[in-house]
This record gives sequence, structure tokens and C-alpha cells, in this order.
Amino acid sequence: MQKKLFYLFNFLMLAGFVAALAVDYHKDWRKYQAEYYRRTAGVLEAKAMQSSDPAEAAKLKAQARKMRSMPIQIRQIIAKDLGRVDRCITCHVGMDEFVNPTLTTAFKDQPFAGHPDLSGIVKNHSFQKFGCTVCHAGQGLAVSVEAAHGKTENWEKPLLREPLLQASCAKCHGNFETLHGAEIAAKGKHIFETHGCLGCHSIHGKGGVISVDLGNIADKPLERIALYNLSLIKGPDGKPLPRRDWKLPAWIEAHLTNVPMDFVPNDPYAKYNKEPIAPSGMPDFTQELTRDDADAVTAYLLSLTEEEQIPSRYYVPGPPQKEPRFANAVEHGKFVFNRYGCAGCHGLGGTKGRRNYNALGPGQGDMSLDMDKGREPTLVDTLGTYTRDELRAKIQNGVPSSQIQKFNPDGPTPPLYMPTWKEKIKGQELEDLVTYLMSIAKKQEEF
Amino acid sequence: MAETTQAPPPGGPKLPDFASIKKAVVDSQVWRSMFRGGVWKDTPRDRAAHVIGNVWLHLHPVRVRKRALEWTYSWGLGGISFLLFLILTVTGVLLMFYYRPTVDLAYRDMKDLEFAVTLGKLMRNMHRWSAQAMVVFVILHMVRVFLTGAYKKPREFNWGVGVLLLTLTLFLSFTGYLLPWDQLAMWAVTVGTNMAGATPFLGNEGPFGTMMGMRINNDVRFTLLGGTMVGENTLVRFYVLHCVAVPLLVGVLLIVHFWRVRKDSFSAAPRDPGEEKAEVWPHLITREYIAAAGCMVAILLWSVLMNAPLEVMANPNVTPNPSKAPWYFVGLQELLVYFDPWIAGVMLPNLIIVGLMAIPYLDINPKGVGQYAWGERKFANVLFLLGVAMWFILIYIGYYCRGPNFAWYWPWESWLTQKAAPPFTWNLFGPDPQWRMLVGHDPQWKVLVDPPVANVSVLPIWLGLPVIGGGFALAMALPKLVQKEIKSGLAHVLFFGAMALLVVLLHFAVKVPFSQGLWLPFFGYLAFYFGFLLPQRHIRSLEWTRYLITMFFVVSMMGVLVKMGARLGFNIKYLLTLPAVSLNI
Repeated sequence: MQKKLFYLFNFLMLAGFVAALAVDYHKDWRKYQAEYYRRTAGVLEAKAMQSSDPAEAAKLKAQARKMRSMPIQIRQIIAKDLGRVDRCITCHVGMDEFVNPTLTTAFKDQPFAGHPDLSGIVKNHSFQKFGCTVCHAGQGLAVSVEAAHGKTENWEKPLLREPLLQASCAKCHGNFETLHGAEIAAKGKHIFETHGCLGCHSIHGKGGVISVDLGNIADKPLERIALYNLSLIKGPDGKPLPRRDWKLPAWIEAHLTNVPMDFVPNDPYAKYNKEPIAPSGMPDFTQELTRDDADAVTAYLLSLTEEEQIPSRYYVPGPPQKEPRFANAVEHGKFVFNRYGCAGCHGLGGTKGRRNYNALGPGQGDMSLDMDKGREPTLVDTLGTYTRDELRAKIQNGVPSSQIQKFNPDGPTPPLYMPTWKEKIKGQELEDLVTYLMSIAKKQEEF
Repeated sequence: MAETTQAPPPGGPKLPDFASIKKAVVDSQVWRSMFRGGVWKDTPRDRAAHVIGNVWLHLHPVRVRKRALEWTYSWGLGGISFLLFLILTVTGVLLMFYYRPTVDLAYRDMKDLEFAVTLGKLMRNMHRWSAQAMVVFVILHMVRVFLTGAYKKPREFNWGVGVLLLTLTLFLSFTGYLLPWDQLAMWAVTVGTNMAGATPFLGNEGPFGTMMGMRINNDVRFTLLGGTMVGENTLVRFYVLHCVAVPLLVGVLLIVHFWRVRKDSFSAAPRDPGEEKAEVWPHLITREYIAAAGCMVAILLWSVLMNAPLEVMANPNVTPNPSKAPWYFVGLQELLVYFDPWIAGVMLPNLIIVGLMAIPYLDINPKGVGQYAWGERKFANVLFLLGVAMWFILIYIGYYCRGPNFAWYWPWESWLTQKAAPPFTWNLFGPDPQWRMLVGHDPQWKVLVDPPVANVSVLPIWLGLPVIGGGFALAMALPKLVQKEIKSGLAHVLFFGAMALLVVLLHFAVKVPFSQGLWLPFFGYLAFYFGFLLPQRHIRSLEWTRYLITMFFVVSMMGVLVKMGARLGFNIKYLLTLPAVSLNI
């Protein structure tokens, strides 16, 4: 019996070690690299056959021979300034400047395709200096498909799909609104600044105080996002997101493609806490923004990062925006209205107040069920009764939470309130804003 | 006429055969300088020479009792633990070629090992799984040695060395846990080292700590971390401890441990008196080799098939919820629900270590050495196994039943489910006592059922010190004070009768629901049986010194159970609290 065990275990040890070596050796990247060399050599040989010039044919044949004898090894770009090591070119050999100086290949399928040169990007961003992941994200140190694309658990910055890829441009390019190739991110910034996001959110301190500062939203760790809330997000097909997609880009995008109250429900009926907590105060933007708009805004927000250790000489300031000129006070007032994000609570052009949970609103009957019908004031309806002085005072003083009447007194405090704009909107801006608001107010009936 | 050469034999010159080649090699000067003994002859002399003449084997005797060869005596647990230590050393050295212990590079080197280094993934996996296995096998080895009474006279010292080795194994695993520098590493070590900050007198958050001038930047936790938080200093410090200091210490203690096993002669009792001994070569050596090879195969296969986890890079600004210590310490972390850190993290582990080391000096029952004896060592076996069971049950609860915010989640419940906030807790003896809350008729003041305010104490401190101290002392002395034999059946009936009465009383007088009240007989029975009935039956005849020390450890164990019952059943946080000196029991 012992003899049997002796031979069995010795055999298993040897077999196990050989198996480990085999598993370690047969990685996907070897396959892909070998196939690239094989294919490229094939293309070169075909060209050599078709060529009429014998010298050129010999040269092509020599190139093909060199391709076939290329060693199969891990290839990497060490972007020293950025502190990154990117091994993407181990599989994507067509994008390695040393093996393939033209960066174009005859193949369309990944990972054998070349790198597109949209907008002269390759000329301006030497791959040896930048590497790959500073733009594309993903896990540069990895050499297996899923891990390198960051699609595994425990890697929070997966490969950015178009158009979110444009977020990376804004990391270095200041004033990117006119940057060739970053149009969608620029569109996202424009949407952000005209649909009232700045009314609640600030960016690096500029903007509203009601919700979080988004200045470094792209650095938000997954640990700080409640998985329970991620589980409530619905994808474009209406079904819950698969677990592998529970990452930051999906979370940001969900705020615009899902109704925030649905996936951040908190505890308005005090089931788990001693006091009721209102659901997310963020309004529903699904009717106002298309999916493309949401993508654009997400691309813009994903560029807001403070973690990158990018040396200052990599920054490109970009052309500053022109100072806007206004024809009259009403136009200036409209600009001020957008600039401070009033549309965030009062709707585009003040036409419809956004939802404010458990505030008094239209159509509320059932004490516990209709708390979600609460609304902010719709300016076009309410402003008709205000004098200029009253309006100016209202804007400057704001309306604190305590003054907002609750629909259900046992329900939670309404999450949205009007901040004091005293310090931010002053002088001519305030006057012109008041002028604009008076102009959009519906005229009251004269009795 | 004489012929100078012989004619060659027919059929060509004769080729030298294997035996003569072998003899030529083995008799050569080169071979003999390395290996004494010449050609191997399968005689008792040569078999003995193999053991005596080989530096790696000569710790073994030449002959052992046949009983010692049986698998079912030792299960090879000690040997397997040693093999795992060797695997860890070899894989550890190989990993050291690529790993750099700085915060900038540690995580990246882990990724490099996984993706770029040939067999790097295998080495890392083997290292991690061997480490986990070594902790398990060392504990199993300790249990085996206990159950076979192999710690009794004259082997007490070796048991103590073994307990130290257990502690160092846990410490090695703990220091190694930090090195990957991912979230799991950083925060598990934060949980573990924060317990050091609660050390009495030496920790800045422990009882009497601030009185002794301990601050966050000069206490024992600071010494361990090399800083006030787990950071780059901690990484280097733990690296040196893990790779150099503690392995050297373990090596020294292993030398003593093996020497002692040999000098005290292996404990396996002979099967029958006057039996013939078996030769170590080949019988013991083959069994050792097979056990080692089997363990190696298991580790190898497990490492090829199961990948060791690596979470996101350590981030001091983001705390995972829940943050758990490594699994072998998560039992102590579970105890933190019931005790303050200075008890759960400092006093109890130290009591466990001291208690384990004291066992051979307290257990003077001569029966059961060298064999598994269940009937003759009932008290020792039951209480030791109770301790081991408590250790592993607490680990199970802490690992599988605690989710975000350390709330209770059944093992099958998803951690995505939301849980209500836990009810408030109250203290028994403390400052500013509100005794009316203990039994109130006003439905708001029912501290036993649903405390309306957190951290309220109900009875005064001057009453608490004698009650708790006296209660502990009484529990220690009682079994020996009752010298008569107690009938087990009668004792159980009386006990459960009293408990039933108490539960009913609590229900109808102060509206304690039965689901809460039943915790009382559950933990109460455990404390009654293991803390009174069993000692009364078995050690009331022990002399006072040994008896009191034994009962101290027994009553401490029961204290843990009683406190758990108090917390789970009645939301009692502290039995006694003295906030002025950070002393909370």
C-alpha cells in the first residue's frame, strides 16, 4: 500500500508541476502575438509574390522572414512620467511603434487592427511617452484579455468605450470645448451648464451647495457606492445591470438614464432607521435628455479627476472662451439663470418645477403614497405675483428646508431647498436676472 | 615459455556490468568523501547508519515503538506543519526576488507576479494557501497533542514551546497579510493593530493608558506600526518581521521543539509491553515522505486551480464596509461585539496563550499519555474541546454571519439586503445610575426590552465592583466548596426549573418577550454545566493552588459565554463601566 502511495504521490507531484508549467505557458497573449506575426508575414509574402520589382520583392520577403522569427514575449510601454506600465501591445502588436511603425495593419479585427489616427492623435501623443491606459483606461499591467480590459472584479477603471473615451482628453486639455476629437465631451459640458446641474452641484467649488461637488467624481471609489443602489439600476433594455458592469461609468450614467429616486430610495417610511430619510432629491432627467445626451454628460464628468499624477508640462491650456455679449438685460438675465443652474430646481426656462419629495405639490391625496408628487415652484406660474423687490429678496435669502411645507408631516424633510444666493449673485447680474424672470412670468389676470 | 598475455575470451571483450560500475563509483574517493558507508547492504547496521550518518535524518532515533508508526496516532500533523513551513520559506524567497515593500511598488509587484513573471502566479498562490493551511494544521496538531496527553510530564516545556510557535505562526500570517497592499490587507491589519492600541497601560486607548502618558504617537500600537496609521513604515516593518525576524525566531524554536520531541522520546504509548521496536529506516522515513508528498500534491493542485484574491489597491481614505481581520483573528473581532477592545483584543488572547501554556502544569492526571483516552480524561478533553469549539464557532460567526456595519446576516442572506439599525444598549453598573429604568411600569422606561436611550447605566459603581468581583470569586470557589457528589439528573431538573420560572417571570412582570428571555437558559446552562457541574464532579479533589488557577481559566471562559448571553439577550453593553479611566467590562 505504501509503495502504491509513494509512486502515486511522486507521479502527482511531477504531473502537477508539469501541469502548472503548462498552464503558465499557454496564455492567450502568446496565441494572439504569434497570430499577428503569422498574418503580417502572410500579407508581406503575398505582396512580394505580386510585386514585379525583384529588389522590392526580396525586401518584402526579408521583412516577412523577420516577422516569422519575431520572439514571442511580453511587450510593454513604460510611460515613466505618468508612472504607468502598459502591456497592451503584447496582444495589440499592430499598435506597437517598434514592430509596426506605420501603426496601420491590413486587419480589421481586434487585437490585430492598427491604431486609428483620428485628428492626428498619434502624431501629437507619442505612444512611448503616453502609453495606452492614460487615455483608454483598463489595467495596463495585465496580459489576459478580461483583466487587461479591466472587466474583472477589483479593477475600478475598465476600458472606456466610445464616446466615454473622450473623457481622457479633458484630463490634460483645458478649455477643451473647441478641441478637435473631444466634441462629445464638450457637448456634455454644455448640457451640464444649461440644464441646471450647477444649481445643486458645484465643480471645484463653483456652483450649487445642495448636492455633492463633482470636481473629482471620476475618482469615486466603488466602495463608496452602495451596492444595493447599483442593484436597482436598469440597463438600456430595462433589465437590471449585470454584476460585471457595476462600475463608476454605469453609476454616473444611471443618474441621467434612470429616475434617481428609483435607485436611491433611501428610507422615507422609516423601515430601517429611527427617522424617515427622503429618497434622492435629484430630479428625473430621463424625459429631457436622450441616451446620447446622457453619454455626453458622462463623458464630461469622467474627465473630472484629481488623482492623476500628470506632470504639468503635459497640460495644454487651450484657447480661452470668448466673453459673451448680450443684446439686452433679458438675454443677460437668461445667461445668469443658466450660469447658476436655476433650471436644476425650477425647470428649463422656469417652465416646470422639479420634483421635491414630500413638499406640497399638485395632485397629492394619499398621505403616504403621494409624497413623491411634491414639486418645486414653477416660476412661470408663481412669479406673476412678485414685485421686483420681493423677487430680489427671495433670490438673495433663499428658502431653507424648515420653511418648506411638508405634505405629510410624518414623512421625511424634503431634500431640495433654495440656497441663499446673496454672496454669489450681486449687482448687475442680480438686476438682469430679475428682469429676465419678470419677463417669463405669465401675466396675471386683471380683475 | 611463459605467455605474457592471455587470449581474449570468445565473443569479444567483456563489458563491465552494472554491479561493478556501481561498486567502482561508490568506492571512489569522491563518493566516499561525501557519503560514508560504501555499497548499500540491507542489514540492520546499514539501516541504522543511514539514520545516524545523515545530517537531515539523524534527529530520528534508530528504532521507534511500532505504535508511533500508526497514522491514526499523530496523523502526521506536526510533520505537515513543518513541510508547509518549508514550502513557505522556499516560495517566500522566490517571491522576494520580485516584491518591493514600498507603497508605490508593492501592489504593482503583485500584479507583475501574477501576469509577467513565469510561475509567479503559482508561487504566490502556493505561498498564500500554504500559509492558511499552516495555521489550520498547527491548530489541529495542538489539538492532537492535547487529546493524546502528550504534553504531560515530562513534556510540559515542549508544549509551551509549541504554544509560542502557534503564536508566531499567527503573527507570521498576520504580517504577511499586509504585504500585497490591497484594501483587504490594509484594513485587516488596521483592525488587528487597533486592538494593540487598547492594551491596558501601554495603549493610548486602553484602561489607564492616558494616565501613563500614552499618546497616539508613542504607545505600543505606534511601535508596531512605525507610525500613527498603517502606512509605508508599517509595510517595511512588517516585511522585515515577516521575512527575517520572525522566521529566524521560529527556526530557533523549531530546533528546540524537535530536539525536545526526540529527547523526551516520542509520546506514542506502546501497544503491548515488551513489543519489538521498528526500524526508522525505512518504516518511519517512508511514512514521513508519503505524508509530505501528499501534502505537496494537495498544495500544488489547490494552487493551480484556485487563485489567491487581490482587491483594489490600498486606499487610506476609503474603508471597506465591513472591514474584517484575517479569518484566524475574526473570532476575536466577533468578540468585540461583546467586549471592549482591551478585553477582546488584548486580555483574552493573552489569557488564551497563558492558559494554554499552563495546562501541563495544572493537569496532573497521569492517565491517557500516548493514546486517545476519552473516559479517563473527561474534564480535560471536554473543556479543551469547548475552548477550541468556541474559537471556531466565533470565527464562523464573524466570517459568515456579519455583513455591512457588522450587522447580523444569515449566511444565505445577500449583503445587499438592508438591515435596521441595532437597538440601543445599556450598562449594568456605571456612573449616574438610573435604577428606575430596570423595572418600570411606564412603557417608555423598559431598559430590558427596548432601551429608549443609549449607554444608560442602571446600578451604581460602588455596588458593581464587589458584585462582579465577588461573583467571579464565588464561581471559582463554589465547585470545591460543595464536596458532596451531586446527582446529575436532579441538578438538571432543578436548573431548568429555575430557568423556566425566571423566563416566565421576566415575561409577565417586565414584558420581556420569550424570544429574548430564552437566551438566559441557553447561555446559563452552558455556564452551569461547564462552569459548575463538570468541575464539581472532576476537580473538587484537586489541591487548592491548581484548583484555583484551573477555575480561573474555566470561569473566564464562562464569563465570555455569560457576557455574550447578556448582550444578545438583553442588549447589555457593559457589566461595569468606569469611563474616567476607560475601563469597561
